[in-house]
Amino acid sequence: MDPIHQFNIEPIFTIGHIGGQEIAFTNSSAYMFLAVALTSLLMLGTGRKLVPGRMQSIAEISYEFVADTIRTTAGKEGMKFFPFVFSIFMLVTVSNLVGIIPYTFTISSHIIVTAALAFLVFFTVLIYGFYKNGLRFFKLFVPSGIPVVILPLVVTIEVISFLSRPVSHSVRLFANMLAGHITLKVFASFVTMLGAMGIVGIFGAVLPLALVVALTALELLVAFLQAYVFTILTCIYINDAIHPGH
Amino acid sequence: MARGFRLSSELIAGVAVGALIGWGVDRLLSTSPWGLIVFFLLGFAAGVINVMRSAGVIPEQKDR
Repeated sequence: MDPIHQFNIEPIFTIGHIGGQEIAFTNSSAYMFLAVALTSLLMLGTGRKLVPGRMQSIAEISYEFVADTIRTTAGKEGMKFFPFVFSIFMLVTVSNLVGIIPYTFTISSHIIVTAALAFLVFFTVLIYGFYKNGLRFFKLFVPSGIPVVILPLVVTIEVISFLSRPVSHSVRLFANMLAGHITLKVFASFVTMLGAMGIVGIFGAVLPLALVVALTALELLVAFLQAYVFTILTCIYINDAIHPGH
Repeated sequence: MARGFRLSSELIAGVAVGALIGWGVDRLLSTSPWGLIVFFLLGFAAGVINVMRSAGVIPEQKDR
């Protein structure tokens, strides 16, 4: 009945100890491996026929989808990052979709997971930006056509805006998944509570049951949409690394 | 709902990062409370810029 019990991290077995801290293989890691396994199965195990079957179509559509997203937001040079962006997209999408199935665990409902992904993108942008552009990367923080008098103020604001990217990038995915799953659990528990109240309750329980069905459909949309938003923001940030201050 | 989440998280991220920087500056330079005040307000401005960018009111950085 506890709506946040579904987010519990339970160790399955212990791998080792680092500095007295237990490093355990948890249910979260298990679901990460499951997402990777499902993705590999989809991409490798579905054949390469000229006329694609159903699963092969899904694999091809997901490739085209991510490739188009990168081309439209970051241009041709952005395709260098295709493996990176595609891995992030597939991990988030598959784990979100798995998480909708009852009794499963959603890895992106923990902020540490989404923050790790967001910082991965952030440091990729930072390191690649400096590697590719050198000090011209700082142009990102200096808008053109600004009077010198207010330049320090504007640059400070731009730097804070840049540093806040991984925060909003990770919080968005995390908060959407967390809120959606808690809502589902709360409405589902209304069904059992009303069902225990006798004949009137059983008729009353129809309402929250219908809501749960509708919310599950909404969650399916949110799961995909948030993975897409995460991917497109990754592309926008990578675009900044490739062409700063155009 | 997704759009609302997106815009509000942009604003909160700006303010939170600004406040964090201000707190860090205060800790390092013992200028309390001025660093927090100044960077909180700058963070607010950065949050508003984030919101306006993601809402499409002002263009993204690459178009300037």
